[in-house]
Amino acid sequence: MNWNYFIKRFGQAVLTLAATITLSFVLYHAMPGSPAESLKNVILSQQAASGSGTVDLERLNRMVSMYTNIQPDEPLHVQYYQYIHQIVIEGSLGTSIYENKPVTELIFERVPWSMFISVYALTIGYSLSILIGSVMAYTEKSRFDSVSSSIIIGLNSVPYYIVGLLLIYVLAIQNEFFPYGGRVGSNVAAGFNVTFMQSIIWHAVLPVVSMSMLGLGGALTMRGNAVRVLGEDYLRVATLRGLRRSRIATQYVGRNAILPMYTQFMIGIAGVFSSAVIVEQIFTYPGVGLLMYNAIQTQDYPLLMGSLIIFTTVTVIGIFIADVTYGFVDPRISAGGSDE
Amino acid sequence: MSDPIFEVRNLDVSFAGSRGTSRVVRDVDLDVYREETLGIVGESGSGKSMLASALLNAVVEPGTTTGSVTYRPPDGPAVSVLELSEQELRRFRWEEIAMVFQGAMSSFNPVMRIRRHFRETLQDHNRNIEAGLERAESLLESVYLDPDRVLDAYPHELSGGMKQRALIALSLLLEPQVIVMDEPTAALDLLMQRSIVSLLEELQATHDLTIVFITHDLPLLTKLADRLTVMYAFQLIETATVDTILYDAAHPYTRALLSATPDLDVAVDEMHAIDGTKPDPVEAIAGCSYHPRCPLADEQCVRTEPPSTNHSEHHTASCFHHERAPAAVPIRGDDLEEADR
Repeated sequence: MNWNYFIKRFGQAVLTLAATITLSFVLYHAMPGSPAESLKNVILSQQAASGSGTVDLERLNRMVSMYTNIQPDEPLHVQYYQYIHQIVIEGSLGTSIYENKPVTELIFERVPWSMFISVYALTIGYSLSILIGSVMAYTEKSRFDSVSSSIIIGLNSVPYYIVGLLLIYVLAIQNEFFPYGGRVGSNVAAGFNVTFMQSIIWHAVLPVVSMSMLGLGGALTMRGNAVRVLGEDYLRVATLRGLRRSRIATQYVGRNAILPMYTQFMIGIAGVFSSAVIVEQIFTYPGVGLLMYNAIQTQDYPLLMGSLIIFTTVTVIGIFIADVTYGFVDPRISAGGSDE
Repeated sequence: MSDPIFEVRNLDVSFAGSRGTSRVVRDVDLDVYREETLGIVGESGSGKSMLASALLNAVVEPGTTTGSVTYRPPDGPAVSVLELSEQELRRFRWEEIAMVFQGAMSSFNPVMRIRRHFRETLQDHNRNIEAGLERAESLLESVYLDPDRVLDAYPHELSGGMKQRALIALSLLLEPQVIVMDEPTAALDLLMQRSIVSLLEELQATHDLTIVFITHDLPLLTKLADRLTVMYAFQLIETATVDTILYDAAHPYTRALLSATPDLDVAVDEMHAIDGTKPDPVEAIAGCSYHPRCPLADEQCVRTEPPSTNHSEHHTASCFHHERAPAAVPIRGDDLEEADR
């Protein structure tokens, strides 16, 4: 492991995060009528509804600061410093206006659910695509190859949320095989028991299936990679060396064909998170995606900015891990590049 | 010298393609003698590599190989190579016959260290790994490589010549009887070519190897080989010892090939390219395959295929007009060499 490379990549990741936080700060200010104004309106309307009377400006500013981490009465650079200080040092992303709870708390109680379905969706999607892609490459130009190519191209052209809607219609509404919403049955008691877990899995099936459609396009990439590797000289030498077929299939064809899929997989983690917004909305699956969707509906700016920052962080971490570990997967990258 | 380790009879290799069936090796009979170096020479696309692959029954899909290839190990019964099962073939390859071929520059799996290539070869052939790796080290030393450095390196960390030599060491790992070299020096510079050739000579002497060496580089072969066989249009047209080929070639093509060989000592206008183009593998060639380009061709050559005839003990050629060939296709410097002798 080359430390220069590591530090460089780490620096890039930190820079990206800083840029995102800055962007969210800028967005607060770019909102129509400044954050203070817009939030003032939201707060005033809430208080009018609850009938607690008038509010003075100072108190309003304090509330804005509590919700967004921005103190509208301070000069801009002080606001920016305090904003970053709040997020980085105190780990606070503000408070949700609608739910009146800290944003971090809201997000982190939802993250495991989103992780649960997206990790399964990614794993299933990519494992299937690697499997199908390899078989397609081995049986190149056969009927299986051409039929599954067409199916995958078809599935790829249909957006995953359409697949999701179809799944709900056919498997949940017409035939009641699966529930069409929620993450656990309403009459199932939470706890470490079989019924509870079954119910969780039962509810996760449809979202996972429709999301794994995203990864399935990788089958064509895998097929292409494997066909290329099958034509490589080292593969022919391996056959001539009388190596076992299983070794050639896994360590020669598989290993080399999966290499380019690795980065794609890591970046896919980010893609799945953002697609969760739509999938979770369709299946009313209460994960981070649905939280963000509702935040848009209720104009819950702090929650929205918080999700933006969290999503970016996950993406940046994913890419950082991919970058740093790629050297172990492919020695030619040698995690340092040009000093060879 | 009459103890064949390989007997090839009626060997045909063909590929079904969209334009019809390509027969890229046609009716080849060939003996490879124990512990000799046999050179197979011919222009590119003449079927040399396919012939070599057929020796290991390693013609790539969707090619089909027919005829018979018989391997006679020093002890034990003869093996019919084309009839081996997949398992038997896996054992046969590299243990009895190893092959180093054109693409040696990318012959190693890029994600594995060289050591692992040696280790897995030993593993899959059920050899003792420790003893095998020791042998690997001494083999690497004998090809002038530093074993520790090379074994711990990834393929991309080695130069082309180093990879080539590492592959030669790898090919000798299981102590094969025969090693087939398909243009092993094509991608290397001249100095590296020479050093690999002298290396092969040393290795042959120390390991009692039979070498089949394939190239279009005729001058290289004359330095290395004991016998030469010339391939033209998917057939063997002449086989003889190197000296016989050089001084007494009977086939007009062999003679034309010799005079087309670039040589620094000969003026450019004395070099003769062979007119015309080689036949398409899809065509069925009537008569002698060389007749469209041969100055001696007549009616008989167009109609009937010339049989392979013995001219002396180790000299066969397929030509009706071999008596007239030396006069019709002179090789430059013929008179000089005549005077020498």
